[in-house]
Amino acid sequence: MRSADRITAALLLALSVAFSAGALKQYQWWGSAGPGPAFVPFWVGLVMAGLALMMLVKSLRNPYPGDAWLPRGEGLRAMLVVLGVTVAFVALLRVVGMIIGTALFVAALVWFLGRHRWWVIAAVAAGAAGFNYLVFVRWLRVPFPEAGIWIF
Amino acid sequence: MDFLANLSMGFGVALTPFNILMALAGVTAGILIGALPGVGPPSGVAMLLPLTFGMDPTSGIIMLASLYAGTMYGGTITAVLINTPGESASVVTCLDGYQMALQGRAGQALGIAAFGSFIAGTVGVVLLMLVSPLLARWALSFGPPETFALMLLGLTTVTLLTGEDPLKGYISMVAGLMLAMIGFDIISGDARFGFGITEMMDGVDFLPVAIGLFGLGEVLVGAEQSGRRQVAKAHVRLRDVLPRPADWVRARWSIVRGTALGFAVGILPGAGPTVATFLAYTLEKKVSKNSREFGKGAIEGVAAPESANNAAATGAMVPMLTLGIPGSATTAIMLGGLMMWGLRPGPMLFEKNPQFVWGLIASQYIANVLLLILSTLFIPLFVRAVRIPYSILMPLIVVFCVTGAYSLKNNVWDVGMMLVFGVVGYFMKKLGYSPAALVLALVLGPLAERALRQSLIISDAGVGIFFMRPISGVLMALALAAIAVPVVRAFLRK
Repeated sequence: MRSADRITAALLLALSVAFSAGALKQYQWWGSAGPGPAFVPFWVGLVMAGLALMMLVKSLRNPYPGDAWLPRGEGLRAMLVVLGVTVAFVALLRVVGMIIGTALFVAALVWFLGRHRWWVIAAVAAGAAGFNYLVFVRWLRVPFPEAGIWIF
Repeated sequence: MDFLANLSMGFGVALTPFNILMALAGVTAGILIGALPGVGPPSGVAMLLPLTFGMDPTSGIIMLASLYAGTMYGGTITAVLINTPGESASVVTCLDGYQMALQGRAGQALGIAAFGSFIAGTVGVVLLMLVSPLLARWALSFGPPETFALMLLGLTTVTLLTGEDPLKGYISMVAGLMLAMIGFDIISGDARFGFGITEMMDGVDFLPVAIGLFGLGEVLVGAEQSGRRQVAKAHVRLRDVLPRPADWVRARWSIVRGTALGFAVGILPGAGPTVATFLAYTLEKKVSKNSREFGKGAIEGVAAPESANNAAATGAMVPMLTLGIPGSATTAIMLGGLMMWGLRPGPMLFEKNPQFVWGLIASQYIANVLLLILSTLFIPLFVRAVRIPYSILMPLIVVFCVTGAYSLKNNVWDVGMMLVFGVVGYFMKKLGYSPAALVLALVLGPLAERALRQSLIISDAGVGIFFMRPISGVLMALALAAIAVPVVRAFLRK
C-alpha cells in the first residue's frame, strides 16, 4: 500500500503541474469581463498538486510498508480473466455486433467462472442476448452495432 | 389549497398505468440490486439510467427514485442472511440482523426492516412534500455566490464522510473536478484539454464514468473474491416476516428515532443513507434499555438503521430537487439524469416542471406501498434470488454496463471510457479512494465553475463576495470547517 501511495502521489503531482501549466499556456487567464477559461483549471490543478505533495510526504515518512493489496493466485487470475474477456467483448463489438457479442461474452464468462452445465450456460447467454434485443433494440430503438449478424 | 391541488395533480401523473409499472419495476429492480453484493444504489441508478432515455422524464425519475428506495431494503436481505451487506447502507444491519438469523429469527429481522422501511419511507415522503417547496422558494433568492458556497459545502462534506483517509477523499474529489474541466468552456467556448480528439472536446460524460467506477469496478473487486463467498441456508416464510406485537413494542421508538434522524441526515449535502444508519445505530445503542443485547441480535439494532436508510434516501431527494445539489453519489447520478433529460435542476424546477416534481412525490407514496407488499409477500422469491451464484450474475452486470454506456450516445467511445474507469474504480477501491466523491465532483464541477466565475464577475474579482453575503458566508464557513476537521484531527493525534 505504501509504495502504491508513493507512485500514485508522484504521478498525480506530475499530472496536476502539467494540468495547471497547460491551462495557463493554452487558455486565457482573464477575459474582458472576468476570469477566463484558464482560471479555474489552474487553481484546481494547484490544489491537486498540494494534495499530492502532502500524500507523497506522508508516505515517505511512513515507516510501515502496509498490507499487500494486490490479489494473488486464484483471485488475481479471476480478476484478469473478467477484465480480459470484457476488453475483448468491447474491442470486437463492431465485428460481432452487440446481440451475438452479448451471448458469446456471457457464455464465455459464465463457463470460466462457474463451470456450470452447458444448458445453464446456454440459457443464461440466450436470456441476456434476448433481453438486450427486446429492451434496447425493439423498445428503446438503440442502433446497436450489428455488423456480424449478416454473416449468418 | 395550492398544496392539495399540486398533490392531486401529482397523483394524477403517478397513477397512470405506465408510471405505476415504472414504480413497480424500479422497486423490484432496486430490491434485487440492493440484495446483490457488489452492485449498490449508485451502480443500479447508473446502469438503469440509459433505459429512461426513451421515456418521459417523469416516468424516468419515478423508476429511478423507486429503485433507490428498493435498494435500501434489498441490502438488508443479504445483510441478515449471509452477513454481507448488499450495499453500504446495510453494513450496520449485519451486526444484529445476522445474529438474529443465527438464532432462527431471520424472518423477524427482515419483517421489522420491511415495516420500518415502509413507515420511514412514507413519513419521509410527507416531509419531502412539506419541506421542498419552502426550501425551493427560499433558494430562489440565491445568487451565484450562494450557489457556489453550497456546492463547495456539498463537495467537502461528501469527501469528509466517505472513505477512511480524508486526504484520499480530497484527491478523489479534485480528480473529479479536473475531469469536469475537460471539454467546452461554458463561458468562453474554448475546448479545454481536448487534444484535438472530437469526443474529448465534448467533455467527459458522467454516465460512463459512473457505470465504470461503480458497476465494472465493483465486479472486478468481486471477481477476485468470488471464491470466498458463502451463502447460508435460511428458510424465510411469509408468516415469519409479519412482526409480532412484542416486536412492535420493542422496536416502535427505534423506528421513530431512525426515521427522524435519517431524514435530517439525508437532507444534509454530502451525508447520505450510509451515514444515517451508523448514527441511528449508535443513538439506539445509547438510549435503549436493552443496550447489552446490541450485537447479539437486538431487534432495535435492525429497526433503527433500516428505518434511517429509507428516510435518508428520501431526504436526499430534497437538496437534489430544490437546490440542484445532490447529497450522495446516487442522487448525483440522478441529477445528471435530470440534466440529460433537459431539465434544469434547482429551485425553478418546482415552478417550471410542477408535473415532474409532484408526479415524483406522489409516486413515492405508491413506491413505498409496493415496497412493503414485495418485501413481505414475495420475500421467499427474493431470498432465492440472493442465492444465484456470482458466476452467473457477474457477466450479466458487465453486459448491462456495456449496453448502458453504449446507448448514451450510441458510440463505442463511451464504452471504452466505461472500461477505463472500471479499472480506475478497481484501483480506487483497493487503495481507499472515494469513487462517490469523484462522481459528485464531476457532476457539480461545471456548475460550480460557472457559479464561481459569475460571482467573480459580479464582485469585480473580489473574493469577499463569498463571505460578505450572509447565506453564502455561513455556507463558506461550514465548508471551510469541513476542510479543517481532518487537519485538526491529525494535529491532535500527534
